Amino acid sequence: MKIGILMPRQRTSRRSPLMPEVLKLLREFGATVDVIYPDDRCTDLCSLRVEHDLYVLRSDTEMALSVAGALHAIGAPILNPWSVATMMKDKIAATRRLAAAGIPVPETHVTCVPQRLGQLLEEGPLVIKPYRGARGRGMRVVFEPDELEEAGTGGPILAQRYHRPDGPDRKIYCIGGQLFGVFRRYPALSYSEKYGESFSIAPELREIALGCGAAFGVELFGIDVVVSEGKPYVVDIRSFPGFKGVPDAALRLADYIYATAQRVLAGNPIGELPGLPTQSERKAVTA
Amino acid sequence: MKAVIFGPGRIGCGFVGQLLQDSGYDIVFVGRGATVEHLARVGRYAVRLTDGRRTDEVQVRGVRALSTSQEEAVAAEVASADLVAVSVGPQNLGAVAPLLAAGLSRRTSPVNVIAFENCNDPAGCLKEAVFRIAPALREIGHGFSGAIVSRIVARRIGDPAGSEPLVFLGDPPEGFIVHGPSLRAPLPRIAGLRAVDDYAAWLMKKLYTFSAGHAAAAYLGALKGYRYVHTAVRDPEIRKAVRAAMEEGRRGLARRFGRELAGDRRELEAILKRFENAALDDPVIRVGRDPMRKLGREDRLVGAARLAAEAGVQPRRLALVAAAAMCFGCAADSGLGTCGPEATLRTVSGLDPHKGLGREVATAFTKLTEGREQDNVLLSLHELVWSWARKQERGAQPALRLA
Repeated sequence: MKIGILMPRQRTSRRSPLMPEVLKLLREFGATVDVIYPDDRCTDLCSLRVEHDLYVLRSDTEMALSVAGALHAIGAPILNPWSVATMMKDKIAATRRLAAAGIPVPETHVTCVPQRLGQLLEEGPLVIKPYRGARGRGMRVVFEPDELEEAGTGGPILAQRYHRPDGPDRKIYCIGGQLFGVFRRYPALSYSEKYGESFSIAPELREIALGCGAAFGVELFGIDVVVSEGKPYVVDIRSFPGFKGVPDAALRLADYIYATAQRVLAGNPIGELPGLPTQSERKAVTA
Repeated sequence: MKAVIFGPGRIGCGFVGQLLQDSGYDIVFVGRGATVEHLARVGRYAVRLTDGRRTDEVQVRGVRALSTSQEEAVAAEVASADLVAVSVGPQNLGAVAPLLAAGLSRRTSPVNVIAFENCNDPAGCLKEAVFRIAPALREIGHGFSGAIVSRIVARRIGDPAGSEPLVFLGDPPEGFIVHGPSLRAPLPRIAGLRAVDDYAAWLMKKLYTFSAGHAAAAYLGALKGYRYVHTAVRDPEIRKAVRAAMEEGRRGLARRFGRELAGDRRELEAILKRFENAALDDPVIRVGRDPMRKLGREDRLVGAARLAAEAGVQPRRLALVAAAAMCFGCAADSGLGTCGPEATLRTVSGLDPHKGLGREVATAFTKLTEGREQDNVLLSLHELVWSWARKQERGAQPALRLA
């Protein structure tokens, strides 16, 4: 079994222990695991070949997504499909996809010109995010029109209606169809706050999380949920998050990756973006 | 020399067939379905043995195979065999009895019949089923023994409809234990055979340590959402619980049969190491199947727990694993769902759900079922917290503090 993992640029600092542990486990399971750093190397595109039974797209950098796209174009099986990872990276497309699947998302507007959002502020504050951002970078809450100029990034931005959260952020992670809830404070002020606290997911949130997975046809993702006045809103979705706070996350990921590689070796294809749910299915999700 | 093997399954092919070929026997398999047709057509298969670091492949060649529907031919083969082996699964022993009785009735000399089944007294069950059909065989003196198999054969690889030889994937141990006094002398010369007088004690040892640990890894692994035994046993909580369950069984054995037979903790560590072998690709679904049988009064969980309790050891982990087996049974639609947990404890395990061990299992089961659903995952064995709740959260209390 050969597994190729597309990883973000190597950094000596800020290394999460998750992926080294996953790699170690997969190797213990007998898999040959190659770590690929698309951002750090020069890839000969025309000689790029499918050399692994399964690829895992851990990185969501522009280069990693493009190399994954090139692998996808020549038929490589990717655990978290390129088309899905690409759409999730684009918050504009991902938010529309979620909304179309009946998932509750905040009122959302997109623009390249922040000043055009001024009128929306009359109805309350907005959360401004870069459309391809991650980890909260570039995100801010805007209350007054004169703050809008500073909120611009020079590129497309999302402006979502700000809903004051009832408590800490809720992260819901999905690994192989299994859901894990973690309370996380933002910004985290301590190590323990960074890892958060696990919680049992309530039925309504579970339906929403399952609906998010179904909207993209994936079993590996993470969503951020804000609950405001008792009402949940999905404010972000990621294809391969850090799974911080998930008990035994590395073991669970290794188990899922290994099982998927076995499925691929047995001749079963990995899914792509599914069709959107019908209206009645959407009602079922939001009921 | 010729051996007839009933059951060309994982143990029949992946263990018995290989050892018998190594010992100079010509092999005739008897079975049903696509595997028998394949073996009859292709005439060979391979056994791939791996300990996770090294892999060897043994070719088993020149095998013949007959369908159970070829009653006349099967009886003729049994009549002229030097050894009969049975490996059909405990629940199918009764089904092979008529064929075996027909073949044994034609013999002019006694023969040894060895049942390679991981259960209590398979030879006795088989012998009685055969004697009920052909009472005259009681006087002939055929040898009947069970066999305690040391190897895990996790799966078969290949398509029986194709022409490529099938491959049976297992780990390397070759030993098996038979009850010497139950077999006719001279004992068959088979690689790995060890004849003992206290067979029941050795069977208990295997069931109450190895099999109990294997089942614990599978049932607790299923609760925590793992797909493979090799992953489940790497979960620190599960590993600790599996070790503790085996230790409870071992202490019961030590009290009943002495420390020498019961073995020591190093043996348990070696067993855990074997469960880690990912090359076997052993899914928890396979290892956990047939939970009703495994919950039997004398079987690996309840039997081991009872023996531990007799020795003054509180079988807390075995009780939890028995409860996990009941959860698995509910999910697997094994019959437990229809008869209910209380009736299962009474009729299958012979336990009073309101007293002693029965109460401990019932209490653990009740706690587990509060969140048990097919895709729900137990986050902690200690706190019995599930990844999602059936009821709406109130006040959004954290379930587990992780860091």
